Amino acid sequence: MNLDFKNINPSHLAYAYSYLHRFMPMSQEELAGLIPYCEFREFNKKEIIVNAGEIDQYLNLVVKGLVRKYIKVKKNDKILQLATEGHVVHSEISFLTRTPSLVILQTMEPTVMISLRFDKMEEALEKYPHGERLGRMILSNMYIKKDERRYTWMAKSVRERFLDYVTQHPHMLQRVPQKYLASYLNIKPETFSRLKHLCKIKN
Amino acid sequence: MFDGLKLFLDQFVKLSEADYAQLKERIIVKQYLKKEIMIKAGETEQHLYFVAKGLIRQYFNVGKEDVIIDIISEGTITGSVTSFLTGAPSRYFMETMEPVTVFALSKQNLEELYLSHNKWERFGRILTAHFFLEQERHILDNIRLSMKERVINFVKENPDLVLRVPQKHLASYLDIKPETFSRMKHLLFDSKRNKAGIEN
Repeated sequence: MNLDFKNINPSHLAYAYSYLHRFMPMSQEELAGLIPYCEFREFNKKEIIVNAGEIDQYLNLVVKGLVRKYIKVKKNDKILQLATEGHVVHSEISFLTRTPSLVILQTMEPTVMISLRFDKMEEALEKYPHGERLGRMILSNMYIKKDERRYTWMAKSVRERFLDYVTQHPHMLQRVPQKYLASYLNIKPETFSRLKHLCKIKN
Repeated sequence: MFDGLKLFLDQFVKLSEADYAQLKERIIVKQYLKKEIMIKAGETEQHLYFVAKGLIRQYFNVGKEDVIIDIISEGTITGSVTSFLTGAPSRYFMETMEPVTVFALSKQNLEELYLSHNKWERFGRILTAHFFLEQERHILDNIRLSMKERVINFVKENPDLVLRVPQKHLASYLDIKPETFSRMKHLLFDSKRNKAGIEN
């Protein structure tokens, strides 16, 4: 469901502001200039936002809630991303190349997102001052985060992956069922429980 | 000599002769021997490289093992991208697998291009998307495809590289153990089966 801009919680807008401000110092007025390109979308818990085979039309910034991005491998769901407030989430390949999505996006909590539709993005790249630069910064940031994550997956031990994650995201143990966290960290569920016990992480 | 570069850039953005001239002024041609290290982990990447000739692998070390994250041949742009973008030390090594010729563009020169014209900003955004897509595709393929599919896929998309890339490097890139890979070698050369064997 789309929300009217007037009904938007100011704290949700603050996420957009702090997200963009990292890339390009901008005033409140300049931020307001981006709003006409955006939609505010609200989802219930466990709603599918993009299904495999669909073309993803949106780039989303989560301002409230939690979205998981996953891919079906045989009968298992392999979690690729757990996006909370302030994170960008979408089916990147599908969005950028206009091809059917390989991944599925689903909410795990009631969620609000600020979304930029593909055609509106094209328009903003052209018309919004320094739109191309901002677009490049956002993509660079996505690249860097993905690279970091790939390196963590491939170069760090199971124990390191577990400890790094729970130290950096202690609140996620409460928000996300354990099996999802285990899948995201590429750790077997039983190993995940054992590590949690060993490391005396409070749940 | 610059034809390959022009071809690569043309898929991203429409550039005039003057634009190409502006770019050429800022490019340095560099040559490397086979098995030469272009960047070591811990160093900061100062350049992006267009590969005019040769073959490069990008990898990191886990213990004594190299884990290959990218294999780059003629006609595309590479570099230790995260280090280039952030200025932080590279996690990765880049090493040639054949004698290599590249056109190197420094960060400062690229920034100057960005500032000179919005067209170059556009190029920068699309190039970044290109880096992102290559990275994401490789990650997803190694997750979603079986080992057999990964080999067949590689052969289909890079028929010219099959004989050029040492098999231990190819195995690492496709995230397959060397002993498993040696049992799959027939897939590299059995082109009829490859055509019939894969759907995506």
